[in-house]
Amino acid sequence: MGEPQNRRDFLLTLGTGAGIAALGYQGAASLRSLVPNVSYDAPTTVKVGLPAEFPDGLKFLPDQRLFIFREGTVFHAISAVCTHLGCTVRAEALSNPEARTVDGKALRLTHRFLCPCHGSKYTGDGGNVSGPAPRPLAWYHLSLASDDGQLVVDLANEVGHDFRLTTA
Amino acid sequence: MSLPATTPRARAEAPGVHARRLWSLRPRSDRQSGDAIVSNFLLHWFPAKVERSSLDWSYSFWLGTVSAALLLLLVLSGGPLLFLYVPSVERAYGSVKDIEYAITFGSWIRAVHRFAAHLMVAAVFLHLVRVFLTGAYKNGVGQGQHREWNWVIGVVMLLLTLFLSFTGYLLPWDQLAFWAVTVGTNIASSIPWIGPSIRELLIGGRGIDQPTLIRFYALHVIVLPAALGALFAYHMWRVRKDGGLARADRASVLPAPVASPASTTKTYALLGVARGTSPAVRTTTLEAADATVNAVPDLTRRTAIVVLGTFAVLSIMAALMRSPLEEAANALVTPNPAKAPWYFLWLQEIVTDTTIRLGTFTINGAFLGGVLLPGVLVGLLTAWPWIDRSPGAAAGSWFPRTRRAQNLVFLGVVAVVLILTLVGTFMRGPYWHLYWPWETWPEIPTRL
Repeated sequence: MGEPQNRRDFLLTLGTGAGIAALGYQGAASLRSLVPNVSYDAPTTVKVGLPAEFPDGLKFLPDQRLFIFREGTVFHAISAVCTHLGCTVRAEALSNPEARTVDGKALRLTHRFLCPCHGSKYTGDGGNVSGPAPRPLAWYHLSLASDDGQLVVDLANEVGHDFRLTTA
Repeated sequence: MSLPATTPRARAEAPGVHARRLWSLRPRSDRQSGDAIVSNFLLHWFPAKVERSSLDWSYSFWLGTVSAALLLLLVLSGGPLLFLYVPSVERAYGSVKDIEYAITFGSWIRAVHRFAAHLMVAAVFLHLVRVFLTGAYKNGVGQGQHREWNWVIGVVMLLLTLFLSFTGYLLPWDQLAFWAVTVGTNIASSIPWIGPSIRELLIGGRGIDQPTLIRFYALHVIVLPAALGALFAYHMWRVRKDGGLARADRASVLPAPVASPASTTKTYALLGVARGTSPAVRTTTLEAADATVNAVPDLTRRTAIVVLGTFAVLSIMAALMRSPLEEAANALVTPNPAKAPWYFLWLQEIVTDTTIRLGTFTINGAFLGGVLLPGVLVGLLTAWPWIDRSPGAAAGSWFPRTRRAQNLVFLGVVAVVLILTLVGTFMRGPYWHLYWPWETWPEIPTRL
């Protein structure tokens, strides 16, 4: 620091500083108001229907962007949201369904998934095999509602590829 | 000392007193053309005299003026659309449909707005290419020039133009819009750590819905136009402060030697001034009398031709061509293939190709191609005036020898962008598969 400030300079610095601080806080408050504190999202736990209503094979639930697979009494659910940039992938039936072991459990692959936005390809269990997708498609937890026996999908609960729900 | 004469003519010639209330398009003296500039807001952009060579059609192609004319047209056509469009998720698509099919001249106004936006992206980009290739971001002989900052402002204005186009793209709330925003904001969220918060800030929540639409609407009609308008004003002021186009500097750097008649009484050679008896006198003023013309009417006439020409071309285009409107936004089905607007197709192509896998570790192409690579390109563009080491004399002419290497590299990058755009436009079919243009593309499998 140099010479001691005179009163005029000190007040000028103080006033300018106060002005900048006031504008800064007001600006920050305005910006902060744009970050939502509440998000009115759709519920993450959704009843999707009685198990008996599902066909053997695959059913696409557009509202949840979800594929539900059924094989007899065994169910699993795979997300239809491409892990690259969030487009909805489409399922394409394989001409020769393939029997495979996925994470130690037997699985019949009847479909593969293709993304229309950037050409990502996924196997029937959601594994990303080509294109830009960085991760496999998400698998979601399935359960049966205790009250009416409907199939319940928990979109906030990602599970491994060995997850199966076996209904009675 | 006598008082100033009171005859009308004499009063008109007194300093600060002007003969005509309105400015003249056909000034009879420098004074009158100066008056035209001073008393007219629009003409205040222009100096009284401009370098003749900077008016050349083939030097600048008037691309900046074309961009400005398109901006004006966008503001003008945006006005009525403000009254007709409803920024609500339930009603946006319907209101655009009304504009397109029910409102008198509605489809024409929308087409003017839409085509002007597309052409403005092209014009601003070509303007940037022109300025780079002529090294017009370089300072010349003038005092207090800061062309490098005007270049930076220009780069920001290009980004604003792109962002304006993108935000406008969302407003019809059709399929094209919805998926463009899905992909665009997911690119933002691919930034490490802060990405998801940026996406949430942009779309106003976790899903694309009413908060998203109203945010992009506010950006499109208030925030971005205001920013672009302010920068545009500064851009033009800077051009004026920098002495006009770089061409003007060049003309004064390299003037034709003017021979003055030799004196019979002096031997210049002995004085060491020149050889022989006819010294060449170099003039270095920016306003050499034979190299400049009055801004009014030479510059104003050409500006009017460019602006009105742009208006006319666009008006005819809008009358002849329809603007597309896809199906209403449907979060459940992605169109196949889902293509970005043409000016983002090269990025879509890069985003597709840049996912990198190193063993089990994967870098998402969204970040690499959507954020990092464009960021590096923009950073390079911004920093280029300080990287460029070519002499100042290289500014203001096409393809000077001293800038050959950097012009070639720049053209190379431009060519890559154009090729990727063409690939995206003509060679990407369903599921983003590559097809040759002459191949028959397969039927799209039925939607699930």
